[in-house]
Amino acid sequence: MAAAIEIQGLTKEYVDIWRKQKVSAVKNLTLTVEEGEIFGFLGRNGAGKTTTIKMLLGLLFPTAGDATLLGKPMGDNSVKSLLSYLPEETYFYDSMSAWDLLDFYARLFKIPAGERERRIRISLEKVRLQPEAWKRNIRGYSKGMRQRTGIAQALINDPKLLFLDEPTSGLDPIAHSELRDIVGSLQGEGKTVFLSSHQLADVELICTRVAIIHNGKLLIVGTIKELTAGDITEITVQGEQLSNGDLEEVFVETVRKEEGA
Amino acid sequence: MIAWAIARQTVNEALRRRIMWVFLISGFALIALMPLFGYLAPKDSQTVLRSLGLAAILLAGLFITIVTCIYLIPVEIERRTIYTVLSKPVQRFEFVLGKFLGGFITVSINVLAMGVVFLAMLYLQSLRETTDKGLWIWITSGTVPAEMVRGIFMTFFQMLLLAALTIFFSTFTTPIVNFFLSFGIFMVGNLSSVTDSLTTNNNPVVRYTGLAIHYLLPNFGNFNVQNALIHPVTEITNPMEYMRNNIIYALIYSAVLLILAIIVFDRREV
Repeated sequence: MAAAIEIQGLTKEYVDIWRKQKVSAVKNLTLTVEEGEIFGFLGRNGAGKTTTIKMLLGLLFPTAGDATLLGKPMGDNSVKSLLSYLPEETYFYDSMSAWDLLDFYARLFKIPAGERERRIRISLEKVRLQPEAWKRNIRGYSKGMRQRTGIAQALINDPKLLFLDEPTSGLDPIAHSELRDIVGSLQGEGKTVFLSSHQLADVELICTRVAIIHNGKLLIVGTIKELTAGDITEITVQGEQLSNGDLEEVFVETVRKEEGA
Repeated sequence: MIAWAIARQTVNEALRRRIMWVFLISGFALIALMPLFGYLAPKDSQTVLRSLGLAAILLAGLFITIVTCIYLIPVEIERRTIYTVLSKPVQRFEFVLGKFLGGFITVSINVLAMGVVFLAMLYLQSLRETTDKGLWIWITSGTVPAEMVRGIFMTFFQMLLLAALTIFFSTFTTPIVNFFLSFGIFMVGNLSSVTDSLTTNNNPVVRYTGLAIHYLLPNFGNFNVQNALIHPVTEITNPMEYMRNNIIYALIYSAVLLILAIIVFDRREV
């Protein structure tokens, strides 16, 4: 299976001008995500998850390292037509309707007019946004409806690789489970999903592999089974084996060990 | 095509901003005040009307341009909407061009609307001076002064230059800083006759400062042709050549500012 994402030594440092020191947001990150995977990218707030995604999409420039997406260098414009991104807590253009918003994004992909309409319809139906809301201003949408619109815009170009940053956070249980199922179903369509999330139960349910990042440093990578069985050999934390348990226990234990290091 | 899609979306957003409507309505109100000066002697009345009308369009256009363009890029970054745009196959230059085009189209709609109202007022005023020989003859007896059309046209290009300047600053400053920078440069740029006189000053410090200001900052003063247009005694020897030179100046200067804006924005992390 080919690599959808291949990251080599990716580093991002910010210079604190006042304190005259460097702050590392991402430290020498090396990671491979195979095509067709739903890959969970876990970490606490400020761990470097969003910074990593933004570097891969060319929104931030890395201090060092390199990466390829679907075989092309990160930030390359030609590969962007095969990608999509749902940022965390996005505000969309409030005065637009979901339909107009998707039409705008579809134009950015240069999708022809007739095809545009078909794609908009498919995307909105897929995220189960009520048809009566399609042409209403986003300003009046609930959080769940906005998030559905966000995922719909990420599907408009029928992407091969999706970056989803906290797609289910802050949703009611029904919306949460529906959107999780939608994300989970993408694997069946042959898409690769790079999912950054705090919802460990979701990750455990839908992800094929998981990485845990803390303070910009990659701590652990493996399948859910490997991680919860405690038989990870790729990366060990302080040379110790992890105990058996669910993903939440593994996450807490891994991060605490790193914090205590 | 992508820049055009961004421009369309920008116009839709910009036209919904209330602050822009405040300035547009203020512009209309100032133009509407024109008939109040009708009590002046015919010649004075014409001068005041023309001067006030062009000044109203310029003033409202100035604030509409600045308040529209200073927010176009920073708001996208602040609301994170830029992430969903730049993560798509959109080149950064297309984004800057789209924002500029959208901002300028918005400003143009406003200047055009004020210009049409202003010219309509002048037309109506010219009707009053004719004798009544039937409705059709009365309606068609008015005239629109060509020099006033030229005046509006010059304001249009002045706003093009200001929009490019504001977009350039918006790629690396906050809206507040941008407001004062753009407004300040517009003011200094309007004093071209003063800065021109500084270039011949005996004091070398004053002379070189004057030279730098006069030749580096955009020369907005060249577009203010009200005096020459309004007072028939002060004739522009060749109005078409004067306009052509200023339009070329505005186009070249705006293109340079946009290239600089693209260079800066291309290196900016969002």
